[in-house]
Amino acid sequence: MLRITDLYKSFGNVRVLDGLDLHVPEHSIFGFIGKNGSGKTTTMKTVLGLLKADSGTVEVAGEKVVYGNSPTNRHVGYLPDVPEFYSFMTAPEYLRFCGEITGMTNTDIKKRSGELLELVGLSGERHRIGGFSRGMKQRLGIAQALINSPRLLICDEPTSALDPVGRKEILDILTSAREKTTVIFSTHILSDVERICTDVAFLKDGKAELQGNISDVKSRYGIDEYSIETDCGDTVRALLERFPAMTHIRGKLSFRESDVCVFDVLAYISEKRLPTAKIERCEPTLESLFMEAESK
Amino acid sequence: MNVTEILPFLIPLIIAQFALLGYTLYHIFTHNTYKRGNRTVWLIITLVFMNFVGPILYFILGKEDN
Amino acid sequence: MKTLFSFIKKEFTEQVRSGKLWLLFIIFILFGIMNPAIAKLTPWLLETLSDSLAESGMTVTSVTVTALDSWVQFFKNIPMGLIVFIILESSIFTKEYASGTLLLSLTKGLERYKVVVSKAFVLSALWTVYYVICFGITYLYSAYFWDNSVAQNLVFSVVIRWLFGMFVISLTVLFSVVFKTNTSVLAAVGGCVAVSYLAGFLPKIKSFVPTYLTDGNSLIYGLSESGNYTVSLIITLLLTVACVCISIPLFNKKQL
Repeated sequence: MLRITDLYKSFGNVRVLDGLDLHVPEHSIFGFIGKNGSGKTTTMKTVLGLLKADSGTVEVAGEKVVYGNSPTNRHVGYLPDVPEFYSFMTAPEYLRFCGEITGMTNTDIKKRSGELLELVGLSGERHRIGGFSRGMKQRLGIAQALINSPRLLICDEPTSALDPVGRKEILDILTSAREKTTVIFSTHILSDVERICTDVAFLKDGKAELQGNISDVKSRYGIDEYSIETDCGDTVRALLERFPAMTHIRGKLSFRESDVCVFDVLAYISEKRLPTAKIERCEPTLESLFMEAESK
Repeated sequence: MNVTEILPFLIPLIIAQFALLGYTLYHIFTHNTYKRGNRTVWLIITLVFMNFVGPILYFILGKEDN
Repeated sequence: MKTLFSFIKKEFTEQVRSGKLWLLFIIFILFGIMNPAIAKLTPWLLETLSDSLAESGMTVTSVTVTALDSWVQFFKNIPMGLIVFIILESSIFTKEYASGTLLLSLTKGLERYKVVVSKAFVLSALWTVYYVICFGITYLYSAYFWDNSVAQNLVFSVVIRWLFGMFVISLTVLFSVVFKTNTSVLAAVGGCVAVSYLAGFLPKIKSFVPTYLTDGNSLIYGLSESGNYTVSLIITLLLTVACVCISIPLFNKKQL
């Protein structure tokens, strides 16, 4: 659906995108993860033709994006990080305006805006947008992005400024939008990605790392971690002494397979007959992957 | 000069000025925040320069862009 | 065409709901009434002041007021109206840059030139309507109290004064595309008008500059005739069209 090849962009002397390659498959929910200032918004604006790349190509649905008035935008819905609407309009009026400028017919606009207001929970809202809360604006933002039934929905940090309830609402709306569109959203909140994304990419130093399907990424890049739980202080002391690479937090010891061989640990425990409550292999989390990628 | 001669001006002028004044006061009272200054300042300015200078100043300098 | 129309509709809705429409409406009506009112009250004012004026050595002879005095007031007050209009409308582009509202419209596929065309159209239409209202009121009062026929070239002088307003509007559009804040827009527009005004003091180019069109008084008194304004008229027209035409490609390249 979206293919970015070898994209470079600098602001002054600062190189933000350094040969970015990105592939977003159709009907995926694509989590685009990176620290603040890592170039997420820059990438998105380039995809929308709002920024001019120094070099490289961006294709949406097989069509090249050009700077300025990009015709590819008819396939795309965009939700900026802080969406701003004409505050003197009401939500239905704004959707009608959006429908009109995308060239939809009046009957389509009526039907579609009714559906979308229902979807985002703003039907029956008769106040002007000027009095909307952040969450309401974010939901209206999704509605306006979906008005022309885009094939690609781009959301720039849609959940960062919201409270847990607002975040859940937005994530639910994005999940339900997946049936008809490909969703790509940037974030630094990893739990959101875990919750709804099918695919993921980490943006670091202007390049995409750990890219692909979430479970693939986890199995490919994840390093197995083990944890040992025990109530016995002697066990902790003995293990830490024998295996200094272990970390200790509140009666729980954990280690990575790369640092300590799990069989050595098991052998040591049985040899010394150390009392333990639980020995467990932990699934790698995005959090640990991200921290790993970040520290490299 | 007698008053009847200037009545054709006086009546519409008074109507227009009071319409402007009324609209400005309505706007000031229905908004709690202003670009600059506060409610008291704008009420004084509007009433002191009520022949359109005060209201214009308010709408240029005091009114928030929503 | 439909998208252009809906953007224009949005601009008008904004004018109405922000209250600017009503505010400017009342202001131009006030100006329209005040022009003949001041003319009418001048003799009475002079009479009440005559004592103090006599003390300072000036003698007041009785003055007869004609429609000309009313039109002199019109040409004196209309710049005030234009200034208020431009100050209130100078944020028509910059407000959208600051809030980022245009971004969404543009990513929806709205062509950029339509933004410039809509806003320029709305400004011109509003200026024309306000101007006609102000003119109409002054005209009717002057016809009622005096005789408008003493004012020579009245229609011509009023039309070229309107065109000067259109010129200032086109400058506002151009600088709104160039700059990001409305203070810089106002400064640049003000600067351009000031340059034109100062250039008007140089005898050689006096009759070429746009501000020459603001000299309605000599026309209505018959001290100057319409033919003298042809060059300035053409130059102003060309500049107005050029400003709007340059704005479009500039806006296409503008980083939002």
